[in-house]
Amino acid sequence: MIEVEHISKDFVAPKKYPGLRGAVKGLFSTEKVVKTAVDDISFSIDTGEIVGYIGSNGAGKSTTIKMMTGILVPTKGTCSVAGTNPSRNRKENAQNIGVVFGQRTQLWWDLPLSESFTILKEIYNVSDTDYAEQMEFLNRVLELQDFFDRPVRTLSLGQRMRADLGAALLHNPKVLYLDEPTIGLDLVVKDNIRKAIKEINEKYQTTVILTTHDIGDIEELCSRIIIIDEGRKIYDGSLCDLKDTYGTKRKVSMEVKQPEKIKGLRLHTVLGMQENECSVELNQESSTLCVTFDKHRLQVPQILSAVMEMVEVKDVQIQETELAEIVKEIYNHGVGGET
Amino acid sequence: MNTVKRYLRLYRVLVTQFLKTIMQSRVDFLIGLLGFFFTQVMGIAFLYLVFQQIPNLQGWTLDQLIFIYGFAQIPRGIDHLFTDNIWLVAYRLVINGDFDRYMLRPMNIFFQVIAEKLQPDALGELLIGTILVVRSLSKGIVIVDGLHIGLFFVSIFAGALIYTSIKLFFASLAFWVKVSGPFLQIAYDMANFAKYPTEIYSKGVRFLITWVIPFAFVAYLPASFFMKAETSAGVVGIECGIAFVLWWIAYALFHRGTQVYESAGN
Repeated sequence: MIEVEHISKDFVAPKKYPGLRGAVKGLFSTEKVVKTAVDDISFSIDTGEIVGYIGSNGAGKSTTIKMMTGILVPTKGTCSVAGTNPSRNRKENAQNIGVVFGQRTQLWWDLPLSESFTILKEIYNVSDTDYAEQMEFLNRVLELQDFFDRPVRTLSLGQRMRADLGAALLHNPKVLYLDEPTIGLDLVVKDNIRKAIKEINEKYQTTVILTTHDIGDIEELCSRIIIIDEGRKIYDGSLCDLKDTYGTKRKVSMEVKQPEKIKGLRLHTVLGMQENECSVELNQESSTLCVTFDKHRLQVPQILSAVMEMVEVKDVQIQETELAEIVKEIYNHGVGGET
Repeated sequence: MNTVKRYLRLYRVLVTQFLKTIMQSRVDFLIGLLGFFFTQVMGIAFLYLVFQQIPNLQGWTLDQLIFIYGFAQIPRGIDHLFTDNIWLVAYRLVINGDFDRYMLRPMNIFFQVIAEKLQPDALGELLIGTILVVRSLSKGIVIVDGLHIGLFFVSIFAGALIYTSIKLFFASLAFWVKVSGPFLQIAYDMANFAKYPTEIYSKGVRFLITWVIPFAFVAYLPASFFMKAETSAGVVGIECGIAFVLWWIAYALFHRGTQVYESAGN
């Protein structure tokens, strides 16, 4: 459905100098600074996949999406969406895709929501029967009827997001791009939006590309994720694989009775491990001892018994590493540094 | 043909939505209209004032000048009415990334820009222009025959296209410089020179408004054709030629601009 081949995007800006004097100098300077926002990325996405496209701020997520939607023309490489080149056949591509940018609405701000749908029906040339059928489906999934007659500017953020999602789906696009669709929403609304996305994907086999900082979105929705950092693709694969490969750290925290007894504890020497395989953190005030360890090398009982020989333990909590931490780790060290 | 029909239909739908929006703020609408009408009245009052000092300007009488002035308002008003949204491209849409939304819809981009807005203020210009042209007809200072009436409408259309092209050209620079509003403002203000006979200006200014930013071809030059039998109809021909060439250049630049459009970061 989507083929992205060696795509790159450079932004060229005049060089800036600091201070007022610099600003004046900048006016007369012809020096340019080239910033490569996306650097030689390739991937291919099949019909019906939901792919999470993640990366830290400024990693190049939005730039990639904008190239796939036809907003930006790639500096190098090609991209094909449903058999169409988005920048060369922009109009044709626009008919195939639906887009939701979380921070920007596509609706007519001052008009009742119903009017936006009437206009979009004309713009995308949706027939009356298709319109009726699609509206029925969208009403069921997104519950638009609750605020269908209210001006868009009076909608709450959650309502607006549902409305935007509905608007992007009215012409039943083959590909749906969602740029941070759950940003700023509360948990209940987030959950509803996710359910709606799932249902749409199941019913129409809509291919969904989703950028987000919300790990929940990814865990709930995406079978596959692509991680990019500084414009380069650093991971492309299933969520389980990512967790297996990088989520090897586990954490156990214990509430102990007399924390001063184990001050300066070097647990890894006690257990005969390397320091990076087992590290401890002691919080004197809350009397908690937090042990982070490699789950392939150590088991929880080993740690517990070692600690309990030294000090009395009141409470124990074991945590699986969350995806958020894995992703943070990957951003910080890159894939190579993680083994 | 189907495409034309589809776009006409879309235009109707989009403009209807726009009108619904402005009806919600009726006061703004009326003030805008009044303001423009007032500007026009001041413009004519200025002409009268000047003529109390000089009864005759380079051989032109007051009545003739009023015709030039009125005639100039009509293409300006038409362009102003239909393509006012081009200003937003120059000042806002490119720099803040709102231009994205045009790129995402399956319609011609320029069409989307102009279909988003009608500028009712322009009715002031059209009204004054029409009144002054009718006044000139009653004074018998314009030539009325089939050729002149036909070319009158051709000239108005070509004049409006020249306005639109100049606006589009300078607005398109925004794709490279981000905000091109000030350039557009300067170019647009040149049109004020063309409300008067160009002979009153120095050579440099005359050359500028005739051949560089050719507003003289929108107003004064064709207007003289409608008043003086010895002026050749060729002047309207040149006006049309200029209109099409300018349009072609401006549209090509605009199209190139959409290819280098950089959007805005989130």
